[in-house]
Amino acid sequence: MTELAVEGLAHVYAASGVRALDGIDLRIGAGERVALIGQNGSGKTTLVRHLNGLLRPTEGRVLVGGDDAQTLTVAQLAARVGLVFQDPDRQIFSGSVRAEVEFGPRNLARSGRELAAAVRESIAAAGLGGQEATNPYDLGQSRRKLLALASVLAMRTPVLVLDEPTTGQDARGVDRVSDVVRSVSTEGRTVIAISHDMRFVAETFERVIVMRAGRVLLDGSPAEAFAADAWEALRSTYLEPPLAARLGAQRGVGSTPTDAALIAALAARERD
Amino acid sequence: MAGSVDLIEGRSLPAAIGRPGPSAVHRLNPLTKATLATTTSVAAVVLGGLVGPLLLVAVAVVLPAIAAGVVGRLAKTALLLALPIALSAFLVNVFFFPGAETVLFRIGPITATAEGLGFAFEIMARIMAISGAVTLFYLTTRPADLVLDLERRGVSPRVAFVANASVQTVPAMVERAAQITAAQRARGLDTEGSPWRRVRGIVPIVGPVILGSIAEVEERTMALEARAFTRPGRRTLLWSPADSRAESLVRWGLLIGLVALIGLRIGGVLA
Amino acid sequence: MTLTLRGIGYRHAGAPRPALLDIDLDLADGTVVGLAGASEAGKTTLCLVASGLAPRTVGGRIRGTLHLDGENVDRWPMHRLAERIGIGFQNPATQLSQVAGTVFEEVAFGPMNLGIDRDEVIDRTWEALEAMGIEALAERDPERLSGGQQQLLAMAGLLAMRPEHLVLDEPTAQLDPAGTALVADAIGRLARSGTSILIAEQKTDLLAAVAGEMVVLAEGRIVLRGPTAEVLADPRLDEVGVALPSAVRLRRAALAAGLDPALVAETAA
Repeated sequence: MTELAVEGLAHVYAASGVRALDGIDLRIGAGERVALIGQNGSGKTTLVRHLNGLLRPTEGRVLVGGDDAQTLTVAQLAARVGLVFQDPDRQIFSGSVRAEVEFGPRNLARSGRELAAAVRESIAAAGLGGQEATNPYDLGQSRRKLLALASVLAMRTPVLVLDEPTTGQDARGVDRVSDVVRSVSTEGRTVIAISHDMRFVAETFERVIVMRAGRVLLDGSPAEAFAADAWEALRSTYLEPPLAARLGAQRGVGSTPTDAALIAALAARERD
Repeated sequence: MAGSVDLIEGRSLPAAIGRPGPSAVHRLNPLTKATLATTTSVAAVVLGGLVGPLLLVAVAVVLPAIAAGVVGRLAKTALLLALPIALSAFLVNVFFFPGAETVLFRIGPITATAEGLGFAFEIMARIMAISGAVTLFYLTTRPADLVLDLERRGVSPRVAFVANASVQTVPAMVERAAQITAAQRARGLDTEGSPWRRVRGIVPIVGPVILGSIAEVEERTMALEARAFTRPGRRTLLWSPADSRAESLVRWGLLIGLVALIGLRIGGVLA
Repeated sequence: MTLTLRGIGYRHAGAPRPALLDIDLDLADGTVVGLAGASEAGKTTLCLVASGLAPRTVGGRIRGTLHLDGENVDRWPMHRLAERIGIGFQNPATQLSQVAGTVFEEVAFGPMNLGIDRDEVIDRTWEALEAMGIEALAERDPERLSGGQQQLLAMAGLLAMRPEHLVLDEPTAQLDPAGTALVADAIGRLARSGTSILIAEQKTDLLAAVAGEMVVLAEGRIVLRGPTAEVLADPRLDEVGVALPSAVRLRRAALAAGLDPALVAETAA
C-alpha cells in the first residue's frame, strides 16, 4: 500500500527564486524505513516539509494516504505525518516532560486512556521513563532531542519524519533513535529520516534516497547506494560511504554497507 | 567629503572594507541619518494637522527612500512596524473621540464620528512619519557603519555594540518565531482556525522564542568575550565612515530647525 | 606554554550537582588532546573552564586552579585570558560579531579589541586567514557563508588573537559532511603545524585522526586518559557511552568472528 506519493514535485521559494526541488517522483510504502541523504541545499528539508503541508508544491502534487495534501490543512496532515524538527529548542515549551509529550496528541483530540497510553509508551521508547515531571530544560541537550522525538511519537501518526535525529547525539542516543525507528516500522508505520550519519543510515534503513540539487540522484537499498559504482555519484555530493562499504569493495567481497555484512562476507570467503 | 572612507594610508586592506554604500543616502554619515530620523519623528508630533506630517513623510522619508532605492522594502517594513499601534489608534479615535458630533455610522452602541475619523488620520500620518523615518535609517545604515562611527566619536564600544545588537535581534526573533510556529503546527497546533484557538496558540510559540533568544544572547556573549571584547578602553579601528563639514552643518541646521518649530508651536503660531 | 588544570571542580549556577570533579589536566605546547565522553559528561563544561569563561562569564562555582606556564591565572579577567587561550563553539552563526561587513573585518575583530597598532591588526588578520586557508573569502559577507566556512572563520578569528592554546567544543557537531570535512582538514593542518589544541568531539574518528592523546569524561570525572591508540582500544569506552571509531569497531568484530584483523584494516589510498 502506498502511503506517500510524490508526483512531479517542484518547489520554488518565492522570496529567493531558488528552485529547491526540480521534479521529484517517489512512492513510499507503509512500514518502509527510508533515509534521505544529501548535502545541505540538496532539497531534503524542502521535500519533507511538503509531506505535512508546511510547504505547498509550485508544480506537481503530494499524496498522503491517497489524498492530495493540497486538500488538507497542516493541522489535518499532522494527524497523518509527524515531523520531528532538528532543533528541540525550537519546539519544547512545556514545564514538564509529560506535558510536552501530551501536547501533540491533545491537538489531535486524543484523551483519556488512549492519551495516557500513547504518552507512557513514547516516554519509555525515548528512554525518559521516570522523568515525567522533570523540566525539559533540566535535561541535557541530547535528552531534549529524544523528548522532541517522544512528543511526536505520541501522536501515533502512520508516517514519522525525522530531521537529523542523530546530530548532536552521543552513542547511546543514536542507539535509542535506531531502536525507535525499528520498532515504529515493525508496527507498520513508515519512517523517513534525513541524516548525515552514513553508518546510522546503512544500519537502520532499508532504502536510501540520495538527493542533489533538488533531484533524486540514487534510490535503492543501502547495498546499492553504497556500492562501489555509486561512489562517484555520492562523492559529487560530498558524501562518503561507510567504512564497511569501502573495505568490502577493497577486499572484493561485494557491497557490504554494514559492519555485520562485511564480517559475514569475509568469513564466508574464508570458509571457501 | 561625504561618500569616501576615511582611510589612513591603506596598507593591504582588502578593497571591500568600508566600501561606500550603493547610494548617496547610504553614504551619508550615520549620525546625519540618525539626526534626520529623530528630527523628522519629533517634528511630525510637533506639527499640527494633517498636511504637515504628510509633507514630512513625503520629503523626509519617501524622497530619500527613492534616492536610496529602498522604497519597496521601506513600505513593507514601516507598515509592519506601525501596524499594531496604527490599528488600535485608528479604532479608538474613530469610535471614541470625545466631544464629537458629526455621526458617520453606528455599530450597535458604538458610534463612528467624522471628527474622530479626522483625528485618526492625523494620528496615522504621525505614526507613518515616525515609523518611516526610523525604518529609513535602518535600511540605509549598515551595522558596522553605525558602531564604528559612534566609537570614533568616543562612545564606548560596548554601548555602541549593544545599540546595534538590539536592533539585530528583531529580525532574528522574527525568523525564530517562524521556525517555531512551523514546528508547533507540525504537532497539530491550529493556526488556521478560530480566533480563540489562535490566541491559545501563542504560548507554544512565545515561550521557545524568548528562551531561545536568551540562550542565543548567552552564546553570543561568550563568543565576544572569547575575543577580548570586554577589554576596557578604546579599540583600534580599521576605518570609520566619512564625515564632512557640510554634513555637520546640515545636522545643526536640522536641530535648530526643530527647536524653532517647537518654539513656534509653543508660541501658538502653528495650528 | 603549558596550560594546567589542577583539582578542578565546577558547579554551574543553580545546579544540584557538580559538572566536573577532580580534574587534573596538562595541555602542553604543540599537543592535541582529544576530549570524549557521552552527552552531559562534562565536555563543554571542561572547555569553558579551560578557557576561563567558567566562572568569569557563565558564573558558577569553581574549585582548584588554572595555571599558564606555572603562573596562577585564577584572578585574570577574561579579556586577558582571551589573548592566551581561544575557545570555539559548536554553532557557527552565533560566533559572528554582527558588526563586520566582510570576513576580513570579522577576523580583525579580536585584534581590534586589543587596541594594538592598526598595521599589526592587519598583519595578524592576514596571517590568521592564511593559516585557515580562507584568504580568498576575505571580502565575503560572513552571514552568507556555509556552516563549515563560518567555523573556519570563527577559528581564524581566534587565531588572530595569537593564543597559545585553542579549545574547540565540538566544532563539527552542527555541520553537514562537506563542512565537517572542511573543518577536520583545517584542524589536521593546525595540529601538524604545532598548534596546541584541546578538542571535544563525539566523532571519535575525527579525534583518532588529529589527537595524539585523549581524555575521556564520564559524569564529570576523567575515567580514561593516555595516548589515543591506547584509549580507543580500551574496552571500557563502551561502558561510558563513547562511540568507538569505525576502524576499532570493525577490528573487534573481526577478532570476535575469528578473522585476521588485517582484513579490515584500511589500506592507504
